[in-house]
Amino acid sequence: MNQDVLKELLYKIADDLLILGHRNSEWTGFGPLLEEDIAFSSMAQDKIGQSYALYQMLNELGEQAPNTVAFMRNANQFHNCQLVELPNGEYDFSLIRHFLFDTADALRWEMLTQSSYEPLALLAKKIKGELRYHTMHANTWIKQLGSATKESISRLQNSLAIAMPYALGIFEESTFEKEIIAGGIFAGEQELKKRWIAKIEGVISQTQLHLPDLKIVTPIFGGRVGKHSEHLQPLLDEMSEVFKIDPTAEW
Amino acid sequence: MNSLDPRVTRLPQVGEVKPKKSLDQFGTFEVFVQAKDGKPFQHEGAIHAPNLEMAYVLAKETFTRRFTCVSIYVVDTRDVFVSPITEGNQSAYELISRDVVGAEKKAFEIYHLSKRGKQHIHAGSVEASSPEDAMCQAKELFGTGKVIYNIWAIEKDKIRFTSAEDKDLWNTLPEKKFRDASDYKGGDKLKYFLERVKVESNKL
Repeated sequence: MNQDVLKELLYKIADDLLILGHRNSEWTGFGPLLEEDIAFSSMAQDKIGQSYALYQMLNELGEQAPNTVAFMRNANQFHNCQLVELPNGEYDFSLIRHFLFDTADALRWEMLTQSSYEPLALLAKKIKGELRYHTMHANTWIKQLGSATKESISRLQNSLAIAMPYALGIFEESTFEKEIIAGGIFAGEQELKKRWIAKIEGVISQTQLHLPDLKIVTPIFGGRVGKHSEHLQPLLDEMSEVFKIDPTAEW
Repeated sequence: MNSLDPRVTRLPQVGEVKPKKSLDQFGTFEVFVQAKDGKPFQHEGAIHAPNLEMAYVLAKETFTRRFTCVSIYVVDTRDVFVSPITEGNQSAYELISRDVVGAEKKAFEIYHLSKRGKQHIHAGSVEASSPEDAMCQAKELFGTGKVIYNIWAIEKDKIRFTSAEDKDLWNTLPEKKFRDASDYKGGDKLKYFLERVKVESNKL
């Protein structure tokens, strides 16, 4: 099989994790509760760690070193969906994004445990526990605040409406979709989306929130082919600041 | 008085008599950690949370983000029954008197404080009709020998345990050395810096 097929898949998963990991780390020191601040920061670290493992895999396939790939590309060379690059907003939006993205992410990795590309299947099995915590954390918060007060419910509901077109953008299909599925690397975005809808419906139904009618939500695509919002480049500039001053810096 | 520090805001106004305001804080939950399979659970501290499930989720990162462990559990602080605290050679078990034994029995977990200033450690489980009854039974089963300065009894059904399928939550923790201060080798970096300063100043 053409290696570009595999690389494209690895890049989009890694870029999602790197960018959201960075975004979520912006909450460090500003979380709504001390304990939540710690938990959210830890999960951000997990995401960066997972992206690092994928960039290492790409490096073994002939791509540049992880740091170079993470810090030296411009926005139009990133393959993350637009959902993960949006600014944090208030905590309700960050929580909704965490819930929508991490549910898809955990399901994606669950599917990847069956991948014909062995390094990917091994990584999927290794990080299963991390992903289990991420979804447990997200589901617990959504169930808590989705049934708590008038304010918490309406805030989450508004954020859900704003995030949903972007969340559907997670499942933007690759031009190699057929090859990826046929090669047994990954069962595909459509299958993932189907499982994702069932999962989020299951959680939302336990709250006083309601899921927007997904048939009439227009997905925001483009992220997977390097088309991004105006928010990604400033994030990359900040993230790569130290590396660009001194690529050998250690901290 | 309005201040960014809530402790200042809670202070009574001068010359004003008002009932004390309740704190705008969550209740507390006690967190227990098992470091290795086969080792007893040990009390690690308390956490603020709105309910038991949230307490579990938040305790996991607050108490087990650095040191390896295999399981945790949490319980509402109000569900922890505490014996009198003793000193010297007196064991807390000596101060526990036989409680009236009821008909209905429940499972209780028993914890011992065997060194002042240390943590309460799980000693075993008993079937009892009340926390006092549980401590009485624990006295016979686990109370021999060592002086125990304080005993806790917690009804098992009140505890939020780690389920069997959640055991893998800590699988990758041993690899996360970047969470330990020692991983940054601050001492080595300082030594290198000081040596460099010395060399530079000798040149002058």
